[in-house]
Amino acid sequence: MDFKIIPSVCSYCGTGCGVLFQVMDGRLVDTLPMKTHPVNEGKLCIKGWNLHEHVVSDKRLTSPMLKKNGHLQEASWDDAIQTTVEKLKAIIEAHGPDSVGVLASAKITNEENYLVQKFARAVIGTNNVDHCARL
Amino acid sequence: MQEQIREWLEQEKVDIFLGYKKIQGHPLPHCFTKDNLDETDDLIVGNARYSLEKMATKIAAEHPELKIGLLVRDCNQRALNVLYVWNQLRPDNIETISVNCCPSKLKEHGDCSYLEPEKAAPLKMMIGIDNNMDVEAAEEFGQEDRYKRWMYEFQKCLKCYGCRDICPVCFCKECSLEHTDLIATGSVPPEIPIFHLVRAVHMGGRCIDCGLCEDACPVDISLRLLYRKVNDIVSDVFDYKTGTSADQSPFNMLGEEVTLELKPI
Amino acid sequence: MTNSIAEIEDSACIFITGSNTSACHPLIARRVFRAKEKGAKLIVADPRNIQLSRFADVAVTQRLGSDVAMLNGMMHIILKNGWQAQSYIEERTEEFEEFKAAVESYTPDKVEQIAGIAQNDLEKMAELYATNSPASILYAMGITQHTTGVDNVKSICNLAMLCGNVGVKSGGVNPLRGQNNVQGACDMGGLPNVFPAYQPVTVEANNEKFAKAWGKALPGKIGYTITDMVRAMIDGKLKALYVVGENPMLSDPDQHHLVKALEKLDLLICQDIFFTETAEKADVVFAAVSVAEKDGTYTNTERRCMKVNKAIDPIENTLNDWEIISKLSTAMGYEMNYESPEQIFDELTTVTPSYGGMTYERLGLDGLQWPCPNADHPGTQFLHKDQFTRGKGLFHAVEYLDPAEMPDEEYPYWLTTGRMFAHYHTGTMTRVSPHLDTEQKTGYVEINPEDAKTLGVNDGETVRLSTRRGETEIPARVSNKVVPGLLFVPFHFAESPANILTNSAFDPIAKIPEYKVCAVKIEKAA
Ligand code: SF4
Ligand code: SF4
Ligand code: SF4
Ligand code: SF4
Repeated sequence: MDFKIIPSVCSYCGTGCGVLFQVMDGRLVDTLPMKTHPVNEGKLCIKGWNLHEHVVSDKRLTSPMLKKNGHLQEASWDDAIQTTVEKLKAIIEAHGPDSVGVLASAKITNEENYLVQKFARAVIGTNNVDHCARL
Repeated sequence: MQEQIREWLEQEKVDIFLGYKKIQGHPLPHCFTKDNLDETDDLIVGNARYSLEKMATKIAAEHPELKIGLLVRDCNQRALNVLYVWNQLRPDNIETISVNCCPSKLKEHGDCSYLEPEKAAPLKMMIGIDNNMDVEAAEEFGQEDRYKRWMYEFQKCLKCYGCRDICPVCFCKECSLEHTDLIATGSVPPEIPIFHLVRAVHMGGRCIDCGLCEDACPVDISLRLLYRKVNDIVSDVFDYKTGTSADQSPFNMLGEEVTLELKPI
Repeated sequence: MTNSIAEIEDSACIFITGSNTSACHPLIARRVFRAKEKGAKLIVADPRNIQLSRFADVAVTQRLGSDVAMLNGMMHIILKNGWQAQSYIEERTEEFEEFKAAVESYTPDKVEQIAGIAQNDLEKMAELYATNSPASILYAMGITQHTTGVDNVKSICNLAMLCGNVGVKSGGVNPLRGQNNVQGACDMGGLPNVFPAYQPVTVEANNEKFAKAWGKALPGKIGYTITDMVRAMIDGKLKALYVVGENPMLSDPDQHHLVKALEKLDLLICQDIFFTETAEKADVVFAAVSVAEKDGTYTNTERRCMKVNKAIDPIENTLNDWEIISKLSTAMGYEMNYESPEQIFDELTTVTPSYGGMTYERLGLDGLQWPCPNADHPGTQFLHKDQFTRGKGLFHAVEYLDPAEMPDEEYPYWLTTGRMFAHYHTGTMTRVSPHLDTEQKTGYVEINPEDAKTLGVNDGETVRLSTRRGETEIPARVSNKVVPGLLFVPFHFAESPANILTNSAFDPIAKIPEYKVCAVKIEKAA
């Protein structure tokens, strides 16, 4: 038996409430508000209280996918990455780096957003990077 | 105390012990086990209160044989009593270490010091229900005034269900609050006062006045007071003092045997 | 936000406009309720009757898209009564006279005609805001998602400066960010014109700095915004799109237009934790991990950078977003060999001055509010304390403009879109959550009882909504939340997508589409 409490932050809106994830035997079983958190002081809204539910949903993606013969099929990471890179390189070769656009996300972490724009700017070589927060 | 818990774990009197540990400056609930005995040195009582018994209930549901140790304040102990009575936990599998800090109304010692709510803000005093009020004081408002005051409080409700989700004695698999025939879904505030009254009625014979619901309510609704009133009635009519002992049988609303006798009026 | 969430509690006046705070930011609404109970005045201006309207000292339902007129009207009244913070204006701001001239013509009478706000309500709004200090303004997408979004925001800043409310505790201009890490995505340079910490790509020195840090020459030309990207796809100029953690199929305006654009791409890469409507159209789908499975940081709407901690192991064949990007990069020939998010964080703080003093250790569980430029800096609770970041606060002369589309004979109703309390964004995460799904299973359109009666529509009955862009069938919810002539559709529901209907006309500067206003026809479904 293994029971853990892991402090984290709710990802359902810009308020950023402190939550505690309850983990039993490696499974996420519940979310609690963190009582001493400066933002929410031990309270959550309906979304925060149910934060764990989307994580454990059986509709989660479980593997990368590649389109083959017009259909998306499960693929290995190596395949998915390799195919993508070949296509990207060909597009950049033919149409230049500004023919590629990258959308960062208001849902991923700062570290990941930093890498997304670094990828666009340093790897692809374009400033065509935006996020969906306008929307 | 740390010593004793260490011993219990070493000697397998308990398999796990639920207490608190300070993590980056915050007292958080923590599960101590035999595999990390040295952690017991870091066990604290903590100035934040979580429902460790609710965690225990959840753990016991999946590991019924597990022996669980718990740090209990007075309110935790009362909640345990209710959980025993309602067969959610088995007393033989629970060991407790008491820390005395929280005498409450039910024990007729006055309010729990930790829980004593902050002084009510002026507008709340004027048109709402002060969280510090007791049942008698609230009943002094005239009927119309009282209704308006409660409705003011209920209108603030954000329908977070936090009052239910945090409550140590709300353990139903299907909760009436989400029953669409009973209460309409899909908007805030929820249907009032029905949303709050349904929960209040359910707290008869259950609520042990720990105040966690009120702590969790983002809009400071005086929930405890509401449930206290219900339990006053339960106490007057059925002579049933919720949470005071693990030996009383619950008056079972589902029609199983009713062993509680009505008090002569 | 210029100020912090907790500070709201001690405001003397709170003006909420274009934010259904209790539904979309409930834990910020908490502070509003508490402020009110402590004695603050509350002004709510929203086209709908929202929950907070019931608690307001004055609540108005302005006509959709009339915000500039409303705000100019308030300022007109403030100036006429001499309620402005004159010495603050003189010491800390500039271009006041031009601004003053611009609001001159916004008489209460004119504003009533444009915005439908009764003159005495407008006067009361102006008086409450101007005579109770500090006063805080909260707003959200209801202000920004307009063709005049930038003008709306400028007007809000004008109002705050006019009454000396910027740079003071419990005052400020406080946009409430919708998605959890919008602030962070912007801070990290997820924008076509700036590097992290809003350092313009067009400034040579910035370009050199980042080129040096990343060991690669960098483009200096401003890139496409998302709105530009859609157009460039249609024009065949944009051939590949890499979408990380977003679902533009539901969140973008004018869905039909977007489908056409996506179909023109040679390569659509989609990275998400669910198989979204956008992923269905992709050539490659990368399976990423959820919030509970990763380490990293988010920055909330009050600029508080906070640590999220891995609670469980990821699903077997999924990878962290940072791992996916690193793999792609390396395969593209640019090595990225990060071992942990912390290593990335330590890199980004060296090039992001406002995060310069942050480390995972310092963040702890409370986080730190930027700017936090060095290791001893405690973080910043509110901005512009002694002077504005740019030096002097700049007033803007702003004129009211009509929304891009207004009701006419063919499309006689106003339509606005937004969120409801139990769901998040495109519903990808919340609709698979049993408790949230129980709360609201389907999309709906809110319609005023009077209009419902005229149309003979009952609560729950299916109606057809159509605009110049598309149509959808959807159950009606008869409700006084909307005023007569106005309809509201939440955008979380793929089967009745609000954005089939919305107008992709956008603000010329911010490029934010006008989700909040369009003209619509409603009829009973056959
Ligand atoms: S709990 Fe609610 S208010 Fe808090 S961050 Fe999550 S969604 Fe936002
Ligand atoms: S509110 Fe009532 S139905 Fe819901 S969990 Fe509590 S006791 Fe059960
Ligand atoms: S006080 Fe509230 S949380 Fe505690 S038992 Fe009663 S209803 Fe439950
Ligand atoms: S905790 Fe408060 S706001 Fe939340 S559902 Fe209960 S009464 Fe309503």
